[in-house]
Amino acid sequence: MIEHFDPRRQTNGVDFSKADFSKDYGTPAARPGAASVSVEIDGVRLSVPEGTSVLRAAALADISIPKLCATDSLEAFGSCRLCAVEIEGRRGLPASCTTPVVEGMKVTTQNARLAKLRRGVMELYISDHPLDCLTCPANGDCELQDMAGSVGLREVRYGFEGENHLAEQKDTSNPYFTFDPSKCIVCSRCVRACEEVQGTFALTIDGRGFDSKVAAGQDEAFMDSDCVSCGACVQACPTATLMDNSVIDHGVPDRSVVTTCAYCGVGCSFEAQMKGDKLVRMVPYKGGDANHGHSCVKGRFAFGYASHPDRLTTPMIRDSIDQPWREASWEEAIGFAAQRLKAIQAEHGRESIGGITSSRCTNEETYLVQKLIRAAFGNNNTDTCARVCHSPTGYGLKTTMGESAGTQTFDSVMKADAIIVIGANPTDAHPVFGSMMRKRLRQGAKLIVADPRRIDLLKTPHLNEAQHLPLRPGTNVALVNALAHVVITEGLEDTGFVARRCDTDAYQRWRAFISEPRHSPEASEMITGVPSEAVRRAARTYATAPNGAIYYGLGVTEHSQGSTMVMGIANLAMATGNIGREGVGVNPLRGQNNVQGSCDMGSFPHELPGYQHVADPIARGRFEARWGVALDDEPGLRIPNMFDAAIEGTFKALYVQGEDIAQSDPNTQHVEAALRSLDCLIVQDIFLNETAKFAHVLLPGSSFLEKDGTFTNAERRINRVRKVTPPVAGKQDWEVTQDLANALGYPMNYAHPSEIMDEIAALAPSFAGVSYEKLEQYGSLQWPCNDANPRGMPTMHAIDFPIGLGRFAITEYVATEERTNRRFPLLLTTGRILSQYNVGAQTRRTHNQHWHDEDVLELHPSDAEVRGVSDGDWLGITSRSGQTVLRARLSERMQPGVVYTTFHHPGSGANVITTDNSDWATNCPEYKVTAVQVEKVSQPSAWQQRFSAFDQTQKNHLESARQETP
Amino acid sequence: MSAHPDDNLISMLNQIALNLGGGRDEESAATATCRHVETFWARPMKQRLMASLARPETGLSATAHRAATLLAKRQEERRTG
Repeated sequence: MIEHFDPRRQTNGVDFSKADFSKDYGTPAARPGAASVSVEIDGVRLSVPEGTSVLRAAALADISIPKLCATDSLEAFGSCRLCAVEIEGRRGLPASCTTPVVEGMKVTTQNARLAKLRRGVMELYISDHPLDCLTCPANGDCELQDMAGSVGLREVRYGFEGENHLAEQKDTSNPYFTFDPSKCIVCSRCVRACEEVQGTFALTIDGRGFDSKVAAGQDEAFMDSDCVSCGACVQACPTATLMDNSVIDHGVPDRSVVTTCAYCGVGCSFEAQMKGDKLVRMVPYKGGDANHGHSCVKGRFAFGYASHPDRLTTPMIRDSIDQPWREASWEEAIGFAAQRLKAIQAEHGRESIGGITSSRCTNEETYLVQKLIRAAFGNNNTDTCARVCHSPTGYGLKTTMGESAGTQTFDSVMKADAIIVIGANPTDAHPVFGSMMRKRLRQGAKLIVADPRRIDLLKTPHLNEAQHLPLRPGTNVALVNALAHVVITEGLEDTGFVARRCDTDAYQRWRAFISEPRHSPEASEMITGVPSEAVRRAARTYATAPNGAIYYGLGVTEHSQGSTMVMGIANLAMATGNIGREGVGVNPLRGQNNVQGSCDMGSFPHELPGYQHVADPIARGRFEARWGVALDDEPGLRIPNMFDAAIEGTFKALYVQGEDIAQSDPNTQHVEAALRSLDCLIVQDIFLNETAKFAHVLLPGSSFLEKDGTFTNAERRINRVRKVTPPVAGKQDWEVTQDLANALGYPMNYAHPSEIMDEIAALAPSFAGVSYEKLEQYGSLQWPCNDANPRGMPTMHAIDFPIGLGRFAITEYVATEERTNRRFPLLLTTGRILSQYNVGAQTRRTHNQHWHDEDVLELHPSDAEVRGVSDGDWLGITSRSGQTVLRARLSERMQPGVVYTTFHHPGSGANVITTDNSDWATNCPEYKVTAVQVEKVSQPSAWQQRFSAFDQTQKNHLESARQETP
Repeated sequence: MSAHPDDNLISMLNQIALNLGGGRDEESAATATCRHVETFWARPMKQRLMASLARPETGLSATAHRAATLLAKRQEERRTG
């Protein structure tokens, strides 16, 4: 008898066997831990978990039962009737997808009666289906075609002349896929995928009986409906009804490489499906431990930027930024850069140069850049864009719980009973995780959202219970203190957890502090603007749920008290015992694909890889021994410190790999002044980004499709990035850094990124057990991965904290210095939207522009009315830092007094208005609070006019260099 | 924009002292502030901060001033071994 070990059975989130993810098992796996039952299918006896469908059980035994409406990413539906089987002792021919196995069941999947039934079903389908297989885009990749072959369809007795849907018109409104209803078999897989997997409910079956048809929204075009273009429907469609336009254009791919998406911190695994050297489509990989076969519009469709004509393909150099670029060989450009760096250090000292690692590049590339800075530059002036997003997470979580990372897996949310989301917008910024969260909410978990805006998560269809705490921007700490006050004063704390797991003295001090009446919801209502009763209710919901989980984003960190707020969240989780098991935890939703990894890899100026302080002589000694140089024991400059030092004249050269500080960092005019002050700016990027316009050396970067390496996602999961196509400029990014190190006289001789990972494993204790070999074996690993946790640690702090006992921190609320007054009466907060990614360099060069081709200013109708503003008016937005002009969009998602914009388009100048204010502990900018005034204007701001002229000049400089090349 | 190049450092230190001051007496708040600067600030920033102590009006809060003074003392001890 086959003892079947279900591939999806997990213990603490770890797969212990490899599944065949290329196979469709028909229905989802039974719940983990279910008892085994024995069944006999076509004479084959096997044992499967209770709850497994007959269809899945057969598939597990490699017995294929024909099917059309069933697929293992969706619950069984039982509509196509193709998967009928005979079961001993039962009447009729039940659908195997909706029939669970029971002990002793005997199943026959193939006999004359079943064959006749299936042929009959297929005849009916085919009688209303175009017979254009040879010219159909799904030819060779069509389940309907496969099933016709499988059941032995030889004739259609009904003919093709009857009433049919063959003349239905295509919907080509979506730029990425085509809906061709003439090919639809109404299996409902697309509708179910939109509901069950994505959770948007944009699709439905309209009409009844023969008139049934798939409809988007209220029978609208896909682009006009609620469809978010995640691709789940395209993925689920068994025919050519919903088909990628890239496949229509280029044909069915013939090979694929599994790799990791380079957009957000979810880190979805994709199959890059190829035809020759052309990437035809990106298909979410079912075996991806973060995404389990789901995707969003960015990862699934927005990959065209990698082959965009704007890609930089040749190194360029120039003496000053007023000059045109001159194309150079790699050798010449690297030599030019090295010579300038050496000359500047000779004249201005060792500390006059530095570098910025990329949170978009791989771990190995990031590691190499910080190594170049520490070992070859000889200082610790290294930083990364995490400075401007999640540096408070690192500080806050390390201080309270001893580790600079989130505590859970994404899957953990499926066991949460109450979910608090603070300052995060998962359905836009982390869409695949947002879908998983929505799934859990539909199952009945309670939702609490603390956000100035009414985010889309609150509009989740079939949401059970949702509470919105619409706090004023900048008052997070007052709110989290009020929540904790309720927990303590109403006796809702988990005293057992606190006694066992937390430092008693620190807890008692915090308990006395938080119990003070000034932290009560009633007292803080004046500060936060949130009704006290709503705060009390939210605190009770979270504290009394069996499993309470907190998810947060940049709305927590990008404040003057970002670090305090992170500690406040950790306090709340520890006080309620919501740490150390699935379904709970403190979960920072990291922004960029490898922002966790860039922090892990020692990008910060005070920490060597693995969060080891530069002043720690033992840790530093190990690096010195391996790297063969003496290392500075003092921290280096952080990004904002570099800007200040550049303007003062003490910081002269900067190497920036894959980050656009000129667009993404706050107070743009200050950043521009700093960049103009540099004697040598080396930019390595795939495009001429805003920063590169101030550069002297331009080194073409490689996209994620062109390199080998690893990314680490928001759940500490290390995923492999695999090279799919050759780098367009001939070098992967790590090779360029290596060349620069060698040119500076510091030898680096890696032949493959796996060798870099081996070095990381040797030096960073939490990565000690990580290797490419192991990643191939297990698919992914969640650090810490070492001798104690050879397969990684999905849930952290289960037994103890890395610092032994958890430390409660005193979180005094200190109001931001950025305040409204008569001159600046509104508060601006910034964020992201689904279709664009960060500075937009990638997504702006794709069809995602169809959704968001300009940044707008959202404001509440009442704020608009008093200013005489109508939807679509041009608005001047003025802060203490600067002014920019955006179009108005009236929105009730905003509370009165708060305005909102995104920063995806450089000409918008969103960061011209954000200020230099920053988090007290980490200097993470206070993007989320800027006092502004808004008024109707008729022309772009002075900055925008200067930007436009400078942009054109720099593009001309690039173009003239390209034209000079024969 | 800061009027004096050190104003930014002064205001950063005041902010750190204020945030680390919660639940601590002045001495332990100053020690915590000093440790924070030791851990996270770059050498030139520390040097500028310590040099600013010579200015007649530093603009530092009492705790921040104490922290900067402690930093100077500890850096000197470190230098002299």
